[in-house]
Formats: sequence, structure tokens, C-alpha cells
Amino acid sequence: MNKHVLAGISTAVLMAATPLSAQSAEIFAYHSWSADSEINALNVLISALEEKGHTWSEIAIPHESESNIGLINLITGGNPPNVFIESSPGLYRDLERMGMAQPVTDYFSENGITDNLPEAVLQSITIDGEIMKVPTALHIDGMIYYNMDVAEAAGVDPASWTSLEDMWADQQKVEDAGYTFMAMGGNTFQAGYLFHALVAAMAGPDIYYRMYGEEPDPTVFDEPALTEVIEMHRRITSQAGDGSINRSWADTTNTVITGEALMHLHGDWMKGQWRAAGKVPGEDFGCINIPGTQALSVTVDSFGILGGVSDEMLQAELDFAGIVVDPEINAAFAAQKGSSPVRSDAPTDAMDQCNTVVLNGLETIGGVQNPFNISDGDWHMSIWNALFEYQSDPSMESSEVIDMLRDEYDAIFG
Amino acid sequence: MTEIVASNPEVREFKSYPPKPRKLTGSSIAILVFLTMCAAFVAIPLYVIIVTSLKDMAQIRFGDIFSLPEVWTLEPWRVAWDEVCSGVTCEGVKIGFFNSIMILIPSLILSIGLSAVTGYALALWNVKWAGTFLFILFTAAFVPFQIIMIPLIIMSGIIKVYGTVWGVAIVHAVLAMPLLTLIFRNYYKDIPSEIMNAAIMDSGSFWKIFGEIILPMSGNIMIVVLILQITSIWNDFLIGLTFGGIGTKPMTVILANSVITSRGEVTYNVDMAAALLTAIPPLLIYFVLGKFFVQGITAGAIKG
Repeated sequence: MNKHVLAGISTAVLMAATPLSAQSAEIFAYHSWSADSEINALNVLISALEEKGHTWSEIAIPHESESNIGLINLITGGNPPNVFIESSPGLYRDLERMGMAQPVTDYFSENGITDNLPEAVLQSITIDGEIMKVPTALHIDGMIYYNMDVAEAAGVDPASWTSLEDMWADQQKVEDAGYTFMAMGGNTFQAGYLFHALVAAMAGPDIYYRMYGEEPDPTVFDEPALTEVIEMHRRITSQAGDGSINRSWADTTNTVITGEALMHLHGDWMKGQWRAAGKVPGEDFGCINIPGTQALSVTVDSFGILGGVSDEMLQAELDFAGIVVDPEINAAFAAQKGSSPVRSDAPTDAMDQCNTVVLNGLETIGGVQNPFNISDGDWHMSIWNALFEYQSDPSMESSEVIDMLRDEYDAIFG
Repeated sequence: MTEIVASNPEVREFKSYPPKPRKLTGSSIAILVFLTMCAAFVAIPLYVIIVTSLKDMAQIRFGDIFSLPEVWTLEPWRVAWDEVCSGVTCEGVKIGFFNSIMILIPSLILSIGLSAVTGYALALWNVKWAGTFLFILFTAAFVPFQIIMIPLIIMSGIIKVYGTVWGVAIVHAVLAMPLLTLIFRNYYKDIPSEIMNAAIMDSGSFWKIFGEIILPMSGNIMIVVLILQITSIWNDFLIGLTFGGIGTKPMTVILANSVITSRGEVTYNVDMAAALLTAIPPLLIYFVLGKFFVQGITAGAIKG
């Protein structure tokens, strides 16, 4: 019911704003979204697309792996989608070699889009100097979402923390009040995301890119800041209590929602779980960046578009690209998905407290790209595994993690 | 205990005695404990799945997975069947149920038809290179699907069935052929040569003998193969995911689409209900046809 009402509102807004295209086409899409919030958001885009006279067909294959096998199979089987969610630069380079890539650099420039994208977003969608992706949703990989009732009961104010030391200084107070200080789950996804968010926050962009760049710099392993990050990872993950083994991020966030724990440090997609529980940002829960952060690690969910198609189909694909980055539509999309708008000039009336923290943070602190956008896949997965092993084995030292990373580096790049 | 009484060689009579009471010994206790543990290994997760599907999310968020529902509700089942989304299509797993039926029927006909005829030819006809062919077929049974997946995608693309029900059905038939052909071949090779010789003298036709003599004798083995194939095709995820196109994804894929999320919110009660709905059809097949499955496996060809 809710979805239909939203689709109707979007339609009404767009009818007034968008002229019909000369040619209508069926856009065949591939994406990996499945949750209600994601589908509601996607319906905003589809309604706008239909207003332009085009139709939408799709294959949705949600997955939790880095390999986008479903997309590769479609391309291999001779049925490539016109628009597809994909972050890995490697796939775009493969498409380029096959004559199936379609940059949107000129289109974005001619339509005044490029100038209104934050630098972190622009970096995430640019491959080898060309804008290859249409930025759709902006997420921050490491934020703290806290239960405001618990904070009040424990007498702490997370919004006042300006450093991680400030944060730890309140730990005893929260535990004395009978709450878990920090919720923590237990799988590679969370261990990996926590680590790269901490590298960005504590070690800064230089060390981050030396660690996660396309060709990592092995001298980064000698940086004392990296050791400090690994030890902070230990301190945070050691907060995990009973039942945290293999616990998903959603279940972990549930322990904060139900008032068992004060906060959870994870990606800002936690908001979806809070909203599904009927909680309101700024009233029931608060959002802050990692205290004292030097950079925000940014995930930009993006659509690629298919090249080597007819002029009519290319126009339809570009119509879709224009819809996705339209400031009004992107804001409506973000409000549904629980993400932040990708454009700095998006209207602010639909934004919540968490969106404001994100956009202010990007403006004042700046962002770095999510490793999925820049790293070699094997290297990235090796880091995840090393950090999860470190989390799972309390006797493991930070120096052993460094040694493990060195070995993995040698195996992959040596 | 039973005793065969054969006063007249033509008439055999079975006399029943009450079972002898069993004593509990150390080994029987150990067996009971082991079997109980095996049952619990499956039954406990199943219990969690069932009770979770009957709870509301407010209770589930507290994480006590073993507790009974405070408020019993069938709403998750309704949402799972009718409303859960696979992409932007929010019509529940029932879409996948009908897709799976559409995939199942041609897959069964193709896989069983091809394998039965091939098994019949290899077992009862003097086929040139039969031994070599059987060896190659047997070897193929050990090739993992993942290894040949990409070439199969390219081939199905060339013959224009990629992304269709027929694409899924053909791949199921091809991948099932080694095992099913071996089953049929081993079943048919026990048919006495006298029957075949008489049949050949009577008509001599390959297809007529198959249709009028061999098939009517194949009831038991057909049940076995049907159960194997229905379970395998219904529970398949990878072939349906890889070769199914728009609107032809089987129920398992629709289930995965509605349950898997890396960054979206999770509704465990609906997920569990959807999983149970997907598991029900093969379970029903086992309950209804399980008795025949055992009979089929133990029966020889001449009892058909």
C-alpha cells in the first residue's frame, strides 16, 4: 500500500517536470536489491522512467559476495542488461575491451551534474579518467548509531565525543548503568568493514590509499598507525559478548534497538533496521561519525550502463542516468532507501539527522572510496579474512596480523 | 517372527508370532543416543524455523530464538506467500512456486525420457561402442557443474534458450543423464534375454518394444527416478539462478532474492515462512511416495 502511494506521488511530481522522450524503450536492469527499503527506493526511479515513456524489466540477484557472477553470466550468455549495479572497476574495463562500456562523462558535464557531486562520489564513479558509473546511493561504511534512551539512562552524550578517547572514557559509566557499551557482531563482512572504516578514521587518507589502492604500497605495513588501527579493532571487537559468534550486523543492531547495548559501529545502512522497527532518527536513535575521524569511507551504489547499443536504447539508458542523478528524485530515492543523496545540491527537506551528519562530514572532513571500488578483489578479501581471524583468536597479536597481511601481499602482488 | 508354512508347494502361508521383547543393552542404548542426537541435529533448527515464522518481529529482535511466540501470528506466512519482493515484483514466493512447476514438468519429461531410452538401448541392444559410451557417461557424472557452467551458458545462448524455461530444462536433463542412464541401464540389464528375443521376433521395432514391453515393466524404477528428479530439480538453486531469465526463476531463487540482503533490513519471520513454503513440495513427495521409493530400489526388473 505504502509503495503504491509513494509511486503515485513520484509520478505526480514527475509528470509536471519531465517531458516524454521521443522514443520509448524497455530498459533491462540487473541489480542486487531485495529489502523493502531498497525496493521502495527503486520504485521511485522506475516511476520516473515510466513517465519518460520507457518500461522496466529486471533480474534481481541479491548476493553477499564480491563476485557479481549473475551479471557476468548474463553478459556471457549474450543477454547483457542495459543498466546494472556494479562497483568493481575490473568489470567496466572488461566491458571496454568488449566494446560494451558506455562512459557518461560528457552527459554529466553537459547537464551540470559533475559539478554537484562530492569529490568522494566523483572518485568512486571514475575509472581510468572516465565517469563510468551513475551514482545512486551514498552510504558511510563506519558510523555510530546509538540508542538515545540508553544514552540518557547512562548519562552519556555520544554527540559530544570528539575523539575515540572521549568515547572509551564513557565506557565504565554505561556498563555501570547495566548496558553493553558497544554491540559487535561476528563475521568477515563486519570485521572487514570495521577495519577499513577505522583505517580511514584513525590513519587518514594517505595510509588508507596505500593500504587499499589498486597497487598497495607494502611500506604501509611498517606504519605505526596501522598497528594502532589493528589494536583498536581488537578493543572494539572484544566488546562482543555472548551470542556474537557469526551474528549478522542486523541482529547486532537489534541489540541496540532493544536497549541492550548503547551503540553499534557499522555502515549507515543500519538505519534501515531502525526504521523497520518504527524508530525515528533524532528521536529514538542518534548518528555520529567515528569520533575524531580523519576521513569517511564512502560506499556509492552505482549503476553502469551498457554501450554498443542502438541510438534509441542509448537515449533510454541516458534518460535513466539523468533520472538517477536528478536532485529531487535522488533525494526521494535516498529517503526511501535510508541512504544519503549523491548530489550536494539535493533538497534538504526530506533529509533526517543522519543524512545531515553524513553530508556535513563529507564537506568538512572528506571521504575515501570503499575498497570495493579500488582494491584488487583477492587483496581485499585477504584483509577481511586476516582481520576476522584476528577477531576470532584473542591470543593473536597485532604483529601477527601484519605478518599475515605481508604474506598475502606477497602471494597476490609478489 | 514369521515362518513359511509350505504344506502345498503351490500355496505358501505366513504364520505370525508376537515379537520377542527386547532387552536394553549397552550397544542399543548407544545407538538410541546416537540416533536421538542425529534427530535433534535436524529437529532443533527446524523447531527454531517454525516458531520464528509464527512470531512477530518485535519479539524476534530480542534474540531468544528458542522461545515460543508471545503472540501467535500467521501474518508472516501470508506475506511470504503473497507479498514478499523479488526485485520490484512484490507478489510473494507463489510466483516462484508456479515457475518451479513450469520448469519441473519439461525437465522431468526430458531427463527421464532421454535417460530411459539411453539406458534401454545400452542394456538391451547391441550398441556399437556401448562400453566406451557408458564409461564416458559415468565419468561425466563426476564433473562438477561449476566447471562447465560458462561453456553451457555460451552454448545455450547460441541455441537461443538461455534465460528461458527450456534452457533450465535442457541443462537439468543433460546434467541428470549420467546418473539416470546408469540407473535405467542397470535396471533393464536384468530383464531376461528370452523376453527380448521373443519381443524382437514378434515385432523387431526398437520403439515398439520400449513402449509396449519395457515401459510397462518400469513402474518401480520410474518412481525412484521421479522422486530423485523432483527433489533435485525443485531444490536446485544454481541452475535456475544461472539459466532462468526474467519471470522464469524457480522458487528457490525467489526465496533467496527475498531473504538475502547485504545492507537491507531483515524480517526473519517472513524469511522463515518463505523457506518452509519452499521446502514443503519435496517433503510432500517423500511422504506420499516414500514407500514406493524403497520398493523401487529393492525391486529387480522382472518384478516390474
